[in-house]
Amino acid sequence: MKNILSGIRVLDFTRVLSGPYATRVLADFGAEVIKVQSKKIEGTGPDAGGYFDTWNRNKRSITLNMSHSEAKKIALSLVAICDVVIENFSPRVMSNWGMDFPKLKKVRPDIIMLSMSGMGQKGPWKDHVAFGPTVQSLGGLTYLSSFEKDAPLGPGYALADHISGLYGTFAVLAALENRDRTGQGSYIDLSQYEVVAGMIGPALMDVLANGKEAIPQGNQADYEMAAPHGCYQCLGDDRWCVIGVFNETEWHALIKVMGDPGWAYEKRFSTLIARKTHFKPLDEKLNLWTLKHDAQKLVELLQEAGIQAGVVQNAKDLANDPHLLDQNYFIQTQHPLLGKTISDRSPIRFMQNSSTDPYSDVDLKSSPLLGEANKYVYMDLLGLTETEYKSYIQKGIIA
Amino acid sequence: MLLIGLRVLDLTDQKAAFCSKLLADMGAFVIKVESPGGDASRNAGPFMGNELHPEKSLSLFYNNTGKKGITLNIEHKEGKKIFLALVKKNDVIVESFSPGYLDKLGLGFESLKRINPKIILASVTGFGQTGPKKDYKSCDLVASAFGGQMSVTGSLKPLKHYGEQSYLTASLFAATGILLALRKQRMTRKGEHLDISIQEAVASTLEHVMVRYFYENIIQKRQGSLHWNNLFHIFQCRDGFIQITLFDKWETFVEWMDSEGMAADLVNEKYLDETYRRSRLDHIIKIIKTWTKTHTVKELFKLGQLMQFPWARVDSPKKIVKSPQLKARGFFKDVCPAKNNTIKKCPGPPYQFDSKPNQYVARAPLTGEDNLNLYGKELGFSKEKLEELYSMGII
Repeated sequence: MKNILSGIRVLDFTRVLSGPYATRVLADFGAEVIKVQSKKIEGTGPDAGGYFDTWNRNKRSITLNMSHSEAKKIALSLVAICDVVIENFSPRVMSNWGMDFPKLKKVRPDIIMLSMSGMGQKGPWKDHVAFGPTVQSLGGLTYLSSFEKDAPLGPGYALADHISGLYGTFAVLAALENRDRTGQGSYIDLSQYEVVAGMIGPALMDVLANGKEAIPQGNQADYEMAAPHGCYQCLGDDRWCVIGVFNETEWHALIKVMGDPGWAYEKRFSTLIARKTHFKPLDEKLNLWTLKHDAQKLVELLQEAGIQAGVVQNAKDLANDPHLLDQNYFIQTQHPLLGKTISDRSPIRFMQNSSTDPYSDVDLKSSPLLGEANKYVYMDLLGLTETEYKSYIQKGIIA
Repeated sequence: MLLIGLRVLDLTDQKAAFCSKLLADMGAFVIKVESPGGDASRNAGPFMGNELHPEKSLSLFYNNTGKKGITLNIEHKEGKKIFLALVKKNDVIVESFSPGYLDKLGLGFESLKRINPKIILASVTGFGQTGPKKDYKSCDLVASAFGGQMSVTGSLKPLKHYGEQSYLTASLFAATGILLALRKQRMTRKGEHLDISIQEAVASTLEHVMVRYFYENIIQKRQGSLHWNNLFHIFQCRDGFIQITLFDKWETFVEWMDSEGMAADLVNEKYLDETYRRSRLDHIIKIIKTWTKTHTVKELFKLGQLMQFPWARVDSPKKIVKSPQLKARGFFKDVCPAKNNTIKKCPGPPYQFDSKPNQYVARAPLTGEDNLNLYGKELGFSKEKLEELYSMGII
């Protein structure tokens, strides 16, 4: 079976999530991703972890101890047989190894290199240490994703890693388009800080254009006129629904579903603007009603009446969501140590199924064991002899 | 520009306007096709000068930089014909109508394929093209709920992320999918219909949430500003908020607080054991809280980063536009061309190619701004023909 990215080989120096997510998307669609690991760094842990398994499926793993003086030569010979190199270290790491873009270009003139550090490769903060939560706070997503200005909350998980990963994949694919057309490689310097700042673009424009600063809105609509627009408690333990009303037709439909309560006809709720102004009492009234209902059933009723409504689904709800199950959103792979595992299918779906659809025969593989592909990569691809290969192991380079 | 030569028709509203913006940022030629009178998302705020005006929407501006703009009523018979003539000349169509809408107009994928066999149609909808919920109404709030995001963000109450993050995420998947589809098209010589569900886009970007459910049977709950793995927490300083790590390089951290006489019992050896520390989380937070209040955000951020702690200021938009790092990298671009336009600066893309930042951002089109030029150049329409179409309400 030939996948869309068959024939594209990626040398993957990434760790944690942002980089691995970028290379997972490429691996999902058939690129040969060679993940460079080291026993020294990884220990024995990662082979058995769900986190590692999920974000590194379909990849190959080799071990290469980059702190060894002779490792660089091997790494560069790997670059020579790859199309793309991806890394998410702090800016100085690759250049300390003698693996910066100009050096890679010498061994592979049309190489595409993606660096995805926290702050980008240049600037006064380039060496800042950053994880997802760090860039979410610096980039404004944390401040604005809160109920109140004086109690910042933020996403609670590293959304920025996924978004950065997707930007990275997108940029690499664009660079491949360019290479196919012009024969030229590219260097991509992605800043995860800028990724997050870009996620609140309109709020930044409000400052740039008006000198006006957005403040946290809780669940109220940020950009659109809508009221009610919020999250409401339902029957049961930690059950919630959301309701968004964007015009009068929807408001009257909601009144009808609520059974025509008198309060809904009060003057302070009579227009969209009035409801937006009085969103607090409106939300309280609505919440008293939703509290008596099952979230699932209520949302079905509201949707039938043409109102934007949703169930706040937790992990278990998602795993059992009939719609997602109908769409085969969750897929199974087999891991040598973990056994049967479940992960998410890519939301990128091709409706014209053919042999190039990577999911047509559910050929997804689990994450690799540490160094699983050493022999294949070093001997079959690089052409090392068995003696050379063994001596590199002995010297602690392939390790 | 990496995607020079790629031609895109953009029929989206705010659900996927960001998708073709991403392509335009890379050099694609994107034509935004609005219904006569303009896209409804022109009514979305914030607005230039705080004036509710369809040509002054800053969110529309941000989501549509670099595109050309024409108006066309694709529901009208003549409008349909014009649309199909455009389909012939373009590589990609992005749309975010309800599933089945284009089919009903006779403009579904099968019809488009007959006009242009290599066409790539990307459809971005709340729940995808098929399945029991395909006709559910959706918006960013609904997608954030059904996609699982709100169950893990917030405190007692679930909280949606600021802005329209579900749309942005789905747009990134769609733009990536379009580039994959282009490669596929060159192998198969056939067009492609991409089906992007915003619910799936949200569910796919929950980091640890589904992983821990499937591997450890854990249903993550909301825990305020405390990051899911209890590593990060937000604290108040004298003049604002800082996000710091609770367990990272513990000895260094305690030494620092102790040097200011504020480490309390955390100097006790028992805390060297991580399991013990995790069991005393609330107590540790209480001690740190007292300490951070004696400092400014600037002090802690600067010193913390010097000591290699991944700490961060909790910055508001006003702070961000003044960030020395963003300034040094030229993240905020001049808007060009300046004609008819008072918006001068706009955030640019988060990447640079070959260490050269883009010089400027091309502004978003006004409603139907390029009608005369594009209909003339692309389809050879005369001024008279355009006037006729205009009077019929087709453009």
